[in-house]
Amino acid sequence: MHGAYSRGIAESQVLSGIWRNNKYLLWDVLEHREIQGTQRVSRLVAWWNERVPISGDQLRELTNEPVPNHMKKWWFALGGTPAYLFVVQILTGIMLAIYYQPASTTAYESVRYITEDVTYGWYFRSVHKWAATLMIAAVVLHQMRVYFTGAYRCPRELNWVIGMSLLMVTLGLGFTGYSLVFEQLSYWGATVGGNIMDAVPVVGGPLKQMLLAGDQYNEQTLPRFYILHAAILPVTLILLIGVHIAFIRLHGVTELEGEVEPEDKTKHFNFFPDHILTELALGLTLMILLSALATIFPAMLGPRADPLTTPEEIKPEWFFYATFRWLKLFGPTFAVLSMGFIVFLMFVWPWVDQLLVRITRNKETSTYIGIVAVFLIIGLTVWEAAVAH
Amino acid sequence: MSLEMESNQPTNSQSRADQRDEPDRRKALAAGSSLLMAAGLVGGYGTFFALAGRYLFPSGAGRAWLFVADAGGVQPGQSIDFESPAGVRVTITRKSDSTEASPSAEDFLALSSVCPHLGCRVHWEGHNDRFFCPCHNGVFDPDGKAVSGPPAADGQDLPRYPLQVVDGTLYIEMPYSSV
Repeated sequence: MHGAYSRGIAESQVLSGIWRNNKYLLWDVLEHREIQGTQRVSRLVAWWNERVPISGDQLRELTNEPVPNHMKKWWFALGGTPAYLFVVQILTGIMLAIYYQPASTTAYESVRYITEDVTYGWYFRSVHKWAATLMIAAVVLHQMRVYFTGAYRCPRELNWVIGMSLLMVTLGLGFTGYSLVFEQLSYWGATVGGNIMDAVPVVGGPLKQMLLAGDQYNEQTLPRFYILHAAILPVTLILLIGVHIAFIRLHGVTELEGEVEPEDKTKHFNFFPDHILTELALGLTLMILLSALATIFPAMLGPRADPLTTPEEIKPEWFFYATFRWLKLFGPTFAVLSMGFIVFLMFVWPWVDQLLVRITRNKETSTYIGIVAVFLIIGLTVWEAAVAH
Repeated sequence: MSLEMESNQPTNSQSRADQRDEPDRRKALAAGSSLLMAAGLVGGYGTFFALAGRYLFPSGAGRAWLFVADAGGVQPGQSIDFESPAGVRVTITRKSDSTEASPSAEDFLALSSVCPHLGCRVHWEGHNDRFFCPCHNGVFDPDGKAVSGPPAADGQDLPRYPLQVVDGTLYIEMPYSSV
C-alpha cells in the first residue's frame, strides 16, 4: 500500500513538473499517449495530490498521536463517549428541527406530530432524549475520572476549566432541551429557572428578563430557548470541544502514575488505528444501547403547558435533582449563591488543589474531598428521587 | 482498510512470543473480526440512516376520507358543492347517464382544481363556460378535459379526487388541513 502511494506521489511530481515547464507537453502526455488502466489511476492520484498537497507522512503524523497504554482500558474512553453522543445529538437534533415549530401555539402539537404521526419520529425523538441523558452521565463520569486521577494538575489546569465550561454548556442544553416540548414541565421548569436567576443579586433581574423575554413566560419566550438550544449552545460546545482536544494534543494524554508495565513492553500505542477501533466499537455499542432504550422506554408526552395550573408533582430532569433538593433545603438567595460558589470552586479547583497540597502536605486531600462531594450529590439526587415533594 | 492493517501489523501490545504462535490462525482471526466489525458498522449505521430517510420522507398524513352525502340521494346530473375543512371547494357531480338506485363511486365526478401542468389552481370562468389556469393559459371544459394550452398539448385533463361509496354513503379523499 505504501509503495503504491509513494509511486503516486512520484508520478504527481513528474506530471506537475511537466505542467510547470510546458503546459502543452502535459496535454501531450494526457491526450496523445495510449494511457493504460494503471496510468489512469495514477493520473487521478496526481490530480488529487496536486490540489491537496498533503503527504502520507504528514497525515500519519496528524492522526498517529501516541497514547499511553492505560487508554486501552474502556474506562479511559469516557472522554470520547460524550463527543460521540454529541454527534448523535447534532444528527437527531437537525432531524427533529425539521418538524418542530418553536412557537407556544404550535410547539406542543408539532412534538405530538413527530411522536405519533411521522414515520420513526418516536424513535428519533427517543434517541435524542436518551442520548442527552447518556451524554450528561458520560460527561460527569469523564469529569470524575479526570478528577480522581489528578489529570487536571499542572500543566493541564486550563483544560480543566474548558472541561467545566463544557459541563455547564451540556447542562444548559439539557435544560433548554426539555423546555422546548411545551409540556407542563417545560413551562414550569422555564418559569422556575427564570426566577432562580432572579434570586442572583444585581445581575439576576436583567438576566431573567433576557432569558424569558419579559417578567414572565410569554409568547416571545420559546424562540429564545430554541435558539439557545439549537444554535448558540451547540456552537459554543463545538468551539469548546475544539479547544479541549487541541489542549489534549498539545500536552499529550496524561501518563497514569503507578501503572506496572513489563520492561520489554512499549508504553504507548498509536491513536490511529488502534484507539479509533476502540472508539468505533464503543460507538456501535452506544448505538445499540440507545436504540434499545428508545424502544423500551420511548420519550413520552406529558400534558400540554398550562399557565394557570402548576401540577401537583413537578420535578426537573434527574440531572438537576441535587440542585432542586438544595433549593428546597435553603432559601433561594442562599441556595443560588452557595451553588454559584460551589461551581466557581469547581472551575478553579486545580489552583484550590495546589493550595490544599501546600497546606495539608498531602497529595490526596482533593481525592477525599471529591469522595465526600460525590456521595453528597448522589445523596441529594436519591433523596429528591425518592420523595414526592 | 482496517482489514489490511489488522493482518499486516500486529499491534505493539502483542508480545513477541505471541507473534511466533500460529500466525495463520492469527491472520484469519484478525481478518474475520475485521470483517465482522465492518459488517456491524455498515449494518448498524446503514439501518440508522435508512430510518432517517424514512423519517424525512413526508409520512402522507394530512389526507383523509371525508363524508360527502348519501349517494342515492344525489339525482343523475345533479351537482353538490362540497367544502373541505381546509376550505377547498369541490363540485361533485353525478353523471347524467347513471340511473341505478344505488350508484357506485364511478358514477360520480369530483374535479380537482389543481392544474396537471405545473400545479397552479384553475378557476371556473362562468362566462366562457370553462376552467382557466392563469399560470400558462391552460383551458379545460366543464368535464375537466383539456381544451387548449400546455395541458391540451400534453393530453393532461384535470385530475379527479378519489371517491368511494361505502354502504350507500359517498366519501371523498382530500387534505383536511391547509397552511
